[in-house]
Formats: sequence, C-alpha cells, structure tokens
Amino acid sequence: MSYKEEIFLGAVALTAIALFLWGIGRHFIKYRRGSAHISASNITLGIKRMVTDLLTHRTLMKRDRYAGYAHAGIFFGFGIVSLGVAVLLLEIIRFLIIVHFDVAHPVFYMRFWEGNFYLIFSLGMDLGHLALIMGILMMMWRRATFRLSKLNYLRAYQGETELRKSAKVWRIEDWIFLSVFLLIEFQGFTQEGVRLVIYRPEWAMWSPVGLFVAETFKAFGMSKETAVVIRDANWWMHSVLALAFTAAIPWYKAKHIIAALGSLLMRVEKPLARLPREDENSVNAGVARISDFSWKDMLNFDACTRCGRCHDVCPARTTGFPLSPRDLILDLRVHNDNAQGVPQNGIELIGDVINAETLWACRTCGACQEICPVGIEHPPMIVKMRRQLVDRGNMDPLLQGTLDTIASTGNSFGENSRKRSTWKRELVFEVKDIRKNAAESMWFVGDYASFDPRNQKVSRVFASLMKAGGVDFAVLHEGERNSGNDVRRVGEEGMYETLVEENLEAFSGAQNFNRIITTDPHSYNTIKNEYPEFGKIPPVEFYCSVLAEMLKSGKLKVTKKLNKRVTFHDPCHLGRLNGGYDPPREVLEAIGCSIAEMPRNRNNSFCCGAGGGRIWIPDPPGIEKPSVNRMHEASSLGGIDVFVTCCPKDLTMFEDARKTSGHESEFVVQDIAELVAEAVELKTLTLKDLPSIAERLTDAIATRIAEAVATRLDKVLDAKMATLNAGPAVAVAPPVATESVAQVSETPVLGTSDPGHAAEAASEPAITHAVEALPALNAMDWDNLAPVTVGDIAGYSAPEKTGLRILVTVKHVAKLGDEYEFTADGLDIAEEFLDHELNEWDDAALEQALLLIEANGSGEVVVVSVGPEIAEKTLRKVLAKGAGRAVRIWDERLRNVDPVTIARSISAVVKAEAPDLVLSGTQSADHAHGSTSTALARILGIPHGSVISLVDWDGQGDMTLTRELEGGKRHVFKMPTPAVLAMQTGANTPRYATMRMIKQAKKKPLEVLDGASLIDGGGGYRVRRMYTPVQEKATMLEGSAEEVAEQIAAIIREKKGK
Amino acid sequence: MAGILIVAEQLDGTVQDISAELIGAAVSIKEQIGGPVQVLVIGQVPADLAKAVNLEGVDEILTIETASDHFDPLIYEEVVCQVGFGSKPSVVLIGHTASGMAYGAAIAARLGSGFASDVFGLGMDGDELIATRSAYSNKVEMELGFSGKAVVVLTLRGATFTPPKELGNGVVTAVEVDISMLVGVLSHVEYQDAPPSDIDISKADFILSVGRGIQVKDNLTRFAELADKVGATFGCSRPIVDNGWLPVQHQVGQSGNVASNCQLYFALGISGAVQHLFGMKHIDTIIAVNTDPEAPIFNVATYGTTVDLFELTDALEQLF
Repeated sequence: MSYKEEIFLGAVALTAIALFLWGIGRHFIKYRRGSAHISASNITLGIKRMVTDLLTHRTLMKRDRYAGYAHAGIFFGFGIVSLGVAVLLLEIIRFLIIVHFDVAHPVFYMRFWEGNFYLIFSLGMDLGHLALIMGILMMMWRRATFRLSKLNYLRAYQGETELRKSAKVWRIEDWIFLSVFLLIEFQGFTQEGVRLVIYRPEWAMWSPVGLFVAETFKAFGMSKETAVVIRDANWWMHSVLALAFTAAIPWYKAKHIIAALGSLLMRVEKPLARLPREDENSVNAGVARISDFSWKDMLNFDACTRCGRCHDVCPARTTGFPLSPRDLILDLRVHNDNAQGVPQNGIELIGDVINAETLWACRTCGACQEICPVGIEHPPMIVKMRRQLVDRGNMDPLLQGTLDTIASTGNSFGENSRKRSTWKRELVFEVKDIRKNAAESMWFVGDYASFDPRNQKVSRVFASLMKAGGVDFAVLHEGERNSGNDVRRVGEEGMYETLVEENLEAFSGAQNFNRIITTDPHSYNTIKNEYPEFGKIPPVEFYCSVLAEMLKSGKLKVTKKLNKRVTFHDPCHLGRLNGGYDPPREVLEAIGCSIAEMPRNRNNSFCCGAGGGRIWIPDPPGIEKPSVNRMHEASSLGGIDVFVTCCPKDLTMFEDARKTSGHESEFVVQDIAELVAEAVELKTLTLKDLPSIAERLTDAIATRIAEAVATRLDKVLDAKMATLNAGPAVAVAPPVATESVAQVSETPVLGTSDPGHAAEAASEPAITHAVEALPALNAMDWDNLAPVTVGDIAGYSAPEKTGLRILVTVKHVAKLGDEYEFTADGLDIAEEFLDHELNEWDDAALEQALLLIEANGSGEVVVVSVGPEIAEKTLRKVLAKGAGRAVRIWDERLRNVDPVTIARSISAVVKAEAPDLVLSGTQSADHAHGSTSTALARILGIPHGSVISLVDWDGQGDMTLTRELEGGKRHVFKMPTPAVLAMQTGANTPRYATMRMIKQAKKKPLEVLDGASLIDGGGGYRVRRMYTPVQEKATMLEGSAEEVAEQIAAIIREKKGK
Repeated sequence: MAGILIVAEQLDGTVQDISAELIGAAVSIKEQIGGPVQVLVIGQVPADLAKAVNLEGVDEILTIETASDHFDPLIYEEVVCQVGFGSKPSVVLIGHTASGMAYGAAIAARLGSGFASDVFGLGMDGDELIATRSAYSNKVEMELGFSGKAVVVLTLRGATFTPPKELGNGVVTAVEVDISMLVGVLSHVEYQDAPPSDIDISKADFILSVGRGIQVKDNLTRFAELADKVGATFGCSRPIVDNGWLPVQHQVGQSGNVASNCQLYFALGISGAVQHLFGMKHIDTIIAVNTDPEAPIFNVATYGTTVDLFELTDALEQLF
C-alpha cells in the first residue's frame, strides 16, 4: 500500500468513524433532552436478561422460528465477523506503529497471529460470514415471498389504501440494509477467493468457503494476474463500502444494532405491572410534548426494527381498532428524528403525531412489550400520553362519567358503598368483618365481584369454598374502594393515588391479617406490584393459588371428577403481567378437567378487550370486539364444554361475547371457582350452619312483615286522618272587587350595580314571624308579610374587583343508593347512606362562566356553596376546573333546608362580591327544587332567567339569552346585567378535572363562612316527614333474551292487534 | 282573606295544559281552604284566554291586559303580587314549568310566604295545607307543612293533577295593574320552533324510546329500524338529545314532549329520571328494559326486564 493510499484510506476511515461518532453523539444529545427515567431499571437484571435473550435468541424465535434462525445467522455471524475485524484492525495498528514509529517494545512483537490460532480464526471467520450471508438471504426471501402482514406498512386498520411516503422510505431502507450488507459479504468472499487464487496456501482448507470461491474462480479460468487486479480493486471497494456501512449505522434502521442493546439493558422489571409514578412538580401531566418522554423511551423508539411482532399480537389492531404498537413507536421515532428531543412549534405530539383514538384503543394487555425482541415497553408510554389526555379532558363521555362516579362513590358502579356487602346476604354463614375481627386472610373482593350480579354468584361460591376449606378470611365490607388498577391505566394518576391512600387507610385501620387474597387479577396486580410503593402490604395471593393449595392439601376433596373438556383463558393481568399461568391449570387438572389449549395461550393469551379502562369505553358497532374474536378461537377447538375464566371482567365480557358471537349452544362460560364447587360437591347448607340460617331467615321474614304491615298501616291511618281533619266546608268568599287592588308598597329596582339595595328597600312591612305557633290558615294576613331580605354575614368582605367577576352557585348534591335509612326524627335520610357529587346543572353553569371569562380574556369565577365540610370536595373540583376562589357557607341548621333559605344565604355572599353575573344550575339532582336562583334574584332585586341554554354576552350591558321551553321550543330574549341565570344541561360540555388538578387546586382560596346569622326561622316550608313511597313495581319478565323477546312481542301484538 | 289564586300559563296566546291541571288541583282543596278560586290570565287579548280557563270550580277569572303575549317573569311576578294584595288569597298555584320556575320562587321571596316547588300532592292536616314532593332523585317523598305562613306559593308538577271535566261559570273581571316601570327591562326577540320533523310524540299511540343505555350514537340506527319494524314512533330520553344524537322532537319528557295519546310505551335503556317519567308515566302499558333492577322506570312500568337490551333487540328483530 502506497503512502498516498494509506492517507486516503485513513481519511476515509476517519470520516467513517467521525460520521459514526457524530451519529451516536447526536442520539445522546437527543436523549439528554428527554425527561428523567423514573421507573428505575434494574441493570444487573437487565444484563442478565439481555445476555440470555441474545444468546438464546428466545424473543426472536418466539412465534416466528424462521425469522429467529435467520436473525441468529446474521447476529452471530456479524458478531464473529466484527470480532475478526476488530482483531484485524488491532493488527493493522500494531503494524503501523512498528513501521512508522520504530517502537521496540516487546508488547508489539507478541506473536499469536500464526499457527493454529490463525487457522481456527480463519475457519471461524469463514463460517461467520457464511452464517451472516445465509441469514441475510433468508431474510430477503422472507421479505420477498412470505407476504407477512406484520411486515406490511400499509395501515389497513386505519383505512389506508396507499403507503405513506415515510413507509415507502422504510421499505427502501429495509432493502438497502439487507442488500448492502449482502454486497459487503460477497465482496469479502471475493477477496478471500482471489487471495487464495493468488497464494494457494496449504491452509486454504481452513477457509472452506473462500476455497470454494477460489476453486470456482479457477474453474472459470481466472488467472493469477486477473486475480491480482480484482484483489486490488475489490479491496478498495470492500473497505470503502464496509466503512460507509459502519458510518451509516447510527443514521437509519441499522441503529438497532446499538440501540437494541441499550433498550434490552434498560428494561424495567415490571414495566406495565408497575407503572411509573407521576412527578408532582412536572409542568405537564404525563407526556404532552416529545421532551416529556424519558430518555429511555426515546432509546426505545430508536431500537425498533419494524419487525411487526407487536403489530401482529395487538388485540386492538387485530380487531380493527386504530392502534398498532409498531406504528405508534415508528410515528414517535419519525417525529423525534426531526424534533431531536425539542418540542416543535405548530406540531402537537398528541393530535398531530399520535391520535387520541389511537391511545384510547389500548387495553394495556402487555402483549406488545411481551413479544418485542428489543425490549420496547409500549404500554407505559401509552399510559403516560393518556395522562395528558385525561388532563385535557379528551376522553369518552362514558369514561369521564365513570371516573366522576368512582371519585364520588369509590366504585365504578356508582353504588353506595353500603351495597358492597349485599352479595353476602344469600350466604348461609357470616362473613367476618376485618375491621372488627382479625383473620388469617383479608379478601379484597373488588368492584365487579361485589356489584355485578353474575360475578356476585362467583363471590358467594368462592366464599363458600374458603369456608369449606377452612380458610379463615374476612372482608373490608364498605371500607373497600376500587383498587385503582384500571383507573391508573386510564391515565387518571391522581385519582389512582387517592384510591390507594383510601384502601391503605382501610388496611391499616383493620384488625390483623397476614395475607391478602384477591379474586380479580386487576386488583391483584396493583395491590401486589404497585401498592408497596405507597405502603406496607402483606403477601398477596390470587384465588386460583388458594384453590390449588386447598385441593392439593386435601382441605377440599374432589368427590366428583368433572370429566369435562375445557379451555382456559389466561387473564392478561394474571398471566403476562404476573406469570400466574400454572395454578389455574393445576386446579383444572385436579378437578378432572382435560384442558384443550387455545392457539393463543399463556404469554400469548388474547385480551378480552376490557383492560386499561376499556370496559368503561363503549366499543363502536361494526368492529369485532376482541372478546368475540376470542370466542371464535375457542369454538375452533371443537367439543369444548366450558370456557373457563378466573377474572370478573373476563366473565362479563365472554358471557356477552359467547351469545353475540353465535357460539351460545357450543359451550358455557364459567368461573374456575364454580367448577371447583361442582367437583367438590359443595354443599351450601351444612348442619353446623343451620342455627344461624334459621336465625337469619326469621330475621329477614320478620323485617319484611314489619315493613309491609307498617306501610299498609300508614296508608289506613292517613286515610282516616284525612277524613277526620277535613272538617266543615268554609263558605266561599265573595269575589274581590277590582277597585280594592292595592298597589304594592315597593316596586322592584332593577339593573342596579348594588344588588343588595333593592331587596333591602323592599323590606318595609313589619317582620312578624310567628314560627310554628300559629295555625296556617288563621294567619292569613297579606298586610303582615315579611319579604325575605338579603342575608348578612358579619365580617365577610370580598377582595376588590379588578375585572369581570362571575359568581357560580354550586351544590354538593346527594346521591341515594337503593338501601337507606331515615334519621331518627324521620325528616331526612341518615347521612351515612348518602354519596355526594357536583350537581350536573351547576357543572353546566360553571362551564358557561368559564367560557364567558375565557372569551372576555380576563376576569374571575367565584363559586359559592351552602354545605358542610364534605362539600369542599365539590368546591375543590370546581376550583380545579378553573374557578378562582370558593366560599362555603355553613351552619348545621342549614342541612336540607328549603330553597328560599338557601337563596337568602347565598345572597349574603353575592352582595359582598357584587359580581357582574350570577350563574346557577336550573335545578339540583337530588331535590330538584328549581327555585333557588329565582328566589336569589328576587332577594337581590335583579332580573333572572330560567332554563337557559344559550348565553350571548360580551361581559357588559345586555345579554341575549335563549331559554328552553317545553316541547323543544326556545325563547330568545334580551336581559340587562347584573342578573341571575339558571343554566340547563346540554348547554355545553363541562370540562374534566383530574385528581391531580384537584390536588393542585388546594392552593386556591376557600373561605368558610358561619351561616348562623342566616337562620331567622323563616323559610319556605317545614318538612313534616320523609318516607319511601309505596311503588307498584312492574311485572318482571324472566328468561333468556329470546324468551323475553317472545313475551314482549306477544304484548305488542296484543296491544296493537298485529 | 282566603282563597286560591291560580296563574294560568300561556304560550304565544295559547293557554297551556298545565293551567287546567292547576285548576283541578285547586278544586281538590277548595272546600278546606275556603274562599274563591281565582284564575289570573295575563296576555294581549286576555278575554280569549279567559274562556279556556273557565272550568268547573272557578269562581273568578282576573284578566290583565299586557302589550304582548310574550312571557316576562318580572311582569308575572309583579302582577301576581299586586293582584294578591288585592284579593289576599291564602294559596297561589303556579305551574312547575320552564316559565313557572322563572317567577314562582321570586313571589315567595318577595312575600316571605310559604313555598314549595314541583309539588305533586296536595292535602290538608286540619287547617294546615300539606304539600308532597319528591326528594333524593325521586326515591323518597317528603310531606311539607307551612305553619305560620299567611300565604303559600306552590309550583305544581305537570301531567299530575286532573283538570275539571266540565266548563265553569266564573266571573271574568278585568284588573288593571301598573307595570310601567317593568316594561322594556326584558325584551322579546323571538321564538324558535324546534326544527321541523315528521315525528309527533304527542300524537303517537305506540312509542319505542331509547336512553343512555344504548351507549353510542352508532347504535341508534338499529333501534330506529326496530321501531319501524314494530310500527312504533321512535322516541328517546333527554341525554340522547343533549348529546345531539336526535332532535328534540323525539324526546319524551318534561323538556321534550308529553306522550299524551300513547297507549303502549317501550323503553329501552332508560332509567327513568323524573324528567322523563313526566312525559310517559301515565301511559296504560309500559314495557321497560334496563339492566338495573332498581331503576325507577320499573316503578311506573307495567312489564319490566333486566336482560341485555342488545340481545333482546337481536331477538326482537327476528320476531317482526
């Protein structure tokens, strides 16, 4: 090699190295712009898993052996070859140092580059190259002829009919990568071949492939001279191309060679089972911009090889939902290639790069990350972006409603927590209350198993099995809350934290227990993996293990082998997320079932579609539900008796899907506990339990009789009283003459800037409130009427007004469950039977106020509520939605008081605040008076609009309002301000306040005012009694859907004469 | 100083049904209260309106002529108070309607009178007037008294009290009140009729209605088709209209339409909010489908079922 050549090659090599390093460096700079990687990766575990994965190639072999072998050829071939090239480079450097610097150090004269070592090296290199070529050819063959859907970049699931530009580039990239690689390899063997043609050394057989090439060359009559020419030319081409290939690595698909190593190394131990927590101080909730992704996420983007395995397994993609984990990662990568970790102006990460529908399609089943050969963890990224969506309120209305429900009631069914224990009523034994009695195990039942009628049956069966097996267990009863697993996966991190805190509080407030048993894989997952980050948790066990243990130890004896052919569905949260594949199978075998596995089983189990909060989001019609897809799979096995589940959500989903998929007659869907009960011939009644049943039955019957008699007696007595009290008829008074119509003492003052003034002026007649003493009809004296005056709360002064101020009245409305008791005086419902939430109509009023302020550009919304301390929950919520300040008025005597008194109380604050507008809801969801705002306006002496559906106002002067009339008619009119408006629902879509926003809103001012001075003994009414009306319930039609349909059709035909 | 004053409701010159219902309610307690039953009509041509409310049991009709027929809560409030100071009734009855809600409580606040809204039951306990209304989302009822109150203002729930069947012979008396200071405070712009539609809930004799239970908009089509198949008019509850899935003509309920001529009502996925019950609970035969066995709709339904409404629809489609 001439000096010039050396310099040239050196220059090329240096350029290549520089390009390579620049490419790598650029990535590091990009990663540095990412946020912190919160879920600490376990590096030791990472190394272990990486080495095992790479050496065994297990992730690549999984469900695609061909690709596994092909990649193994490329990977190991490339590994050996790279090692060889490295050794060769060292050799060249050594040679150059000796020649140019005349170094005499013995290190540089160590000789190992000859003899046996060289021969083996030579053979190794030869075979390495061969493997590499074979691998590349296999991959090319696969790409060209297999027509694998996972390698097709066309997003048919999104309705794409033509490849996008970027996808076309990917296709070219894929082929360039393989072709250039192959070309370099061919050049290598050509070089080896011509060298052997020229030198023909004895050891040529140690390079068998090279020798074969050389012999072939010779067979075609290649002379030594030709060989020399080819050698010189090819050497250059090979070197330059190899260097160029190396230089290009960080710049395209080939970067996975490096990024995948990092990605595998940085894998999180339980990426989805234990989601990263949210940094409370972060500006954005979750991921809003590209730089909100952690550097590890960005590394994941770069590691993707577009192998499409995740695309293949995703239940959302499979059933036509707009999500492919592959495309999600690739879209993020393409964006980040341009953005380089810096948020781009004018490009919204969520919206422009990734669609909200894509994120909502995920069921967090974990199939994508499980199959990913390079360790990409997609679901945590999706959840992080969902956190942002939740923060923006960009979610399905049904989901938003469910979240609100969970916030107010602690369960997704919106039931009063007292109803949590109703499933136990039909049991013949008492279930211990862990809050009162210690027990070996505390059973965390979960929402579905507690409230859903089908799952309640399973709960009773499992409880009976534990009782029979001698397990000492207790439950939390109404102390339990939704476990939060799915709330967290939806992206409502703040609410998740609140639920965890509440459950942990219940755990620590309970008597002793040594383990937690769950019957819901979702609860199991979060309590086992995530709760320990918040507090101490005893061992958590899934009921399948409990059943397996009871059967194994003989505590439950199988007396009737079932001899059923069953198939078992692995719940995602039990299997993939927690490795609980075996216990359910052990149980099924123990009870004599033969298991026919579905093609997609164990870690390849196919999600029922309910995970990640999807059970709270309706599936659009026309798209096959994942659960239906699964039913077809089970049906294809043929001759299945039972489709076995061990997850309440699975039971719900598959019971539905079995019917809608047309396999209703083929098999039944049952919970594993039900099969066990059948096999052990569980007796629901045992002699030992009899006394307590007798007692309970007598109790129940006695209560029922008492209730029935009481209501009837009430009716009879009422009727009797009515006739007794009617008394003699009063003579009709003569009509009042027109002339005698008096003028009202005061005329209302309107449009005044001092709202208090008018009503004060109107309060001239003497106030003679003879409370409860006088019989109503004797006191009929219009001359002694006492107008309701503006309330006065001493010492309250509002902050100075700096701009537009809108006051919104809100109510923390009560929600009554199906079971309740009255207070001792019989005038109200006992407080503990009530759940509370923000009144829907007030939510519409608040939204209207916020919209007006936003349109105005500045100003503040002040909220006022009359309510006890618990009402602050609602006030925090409205503060989180955007109100600036809150005022709460309370005195115990204001509880459940009439609307006029409430109006008077609020008027005190309105007077002090002097707002430009007061907005309230048309009515409250609980008492529906529909009167408070009207009374408030009158007390203040300002105009009032009711049932308003549209407000057109620029912040000053007259407003144009639309009010809703009966029958869909609307009335448009103009009204001056200040005024009180009562808003109708449907006027707008109220925004969502996340728990995080609610927590942050704690910093906003909330003033509490003593309402004692507001009670003057007046008020619109006095409650005499409160009671449950006697309802004649409908005749319930029983049977299957078909049977009920027949009955309904008969009724319709009879009525319609059809 | 006794008697009942009823405020008749009219819309654009037509007396509304609630007016006759208020008269029916007044007549039921007339004897115990004592004094006359007076009906107040306010409008541009009050004499015409007076005819429609001259029903059995009415003693006097007081007419107030105003510049227009358009409802103005300030004027209504003022007129009732002024007339009241003249005739001093012990009970004032107003409809619990969009308009009634706009001034009923204002009168009560102005007078410091007894007050209850959305009342569906009236009775007497000795001398004391008793009103019954619902509480806690219609799950329980409360009985209210007004001791110590010289006047009680009540807004009554519609489609609840039975109007008198016969015509009456009440004296029509024109009354003049000064409302000059209120004229022009509010100004009428226009009425907007609900967009035209071939649906008329009030005339339909068989209605199939859907509610929140149908989950997503795309499901509407199949229920509309089912309604067509069984020969029913397609109705819905308020949330469906709030979501913009169907125009308001389809809505059964207080803010929608009362199914006044319906014989058979088939409710799918409707829980039965008061608002909705208002428009249909009187119907002779009601079939309700709801997964919640405690849904209030079952309290008014003749037949009920808790089967899945989609499965039921599948099965019904096969039968018609």
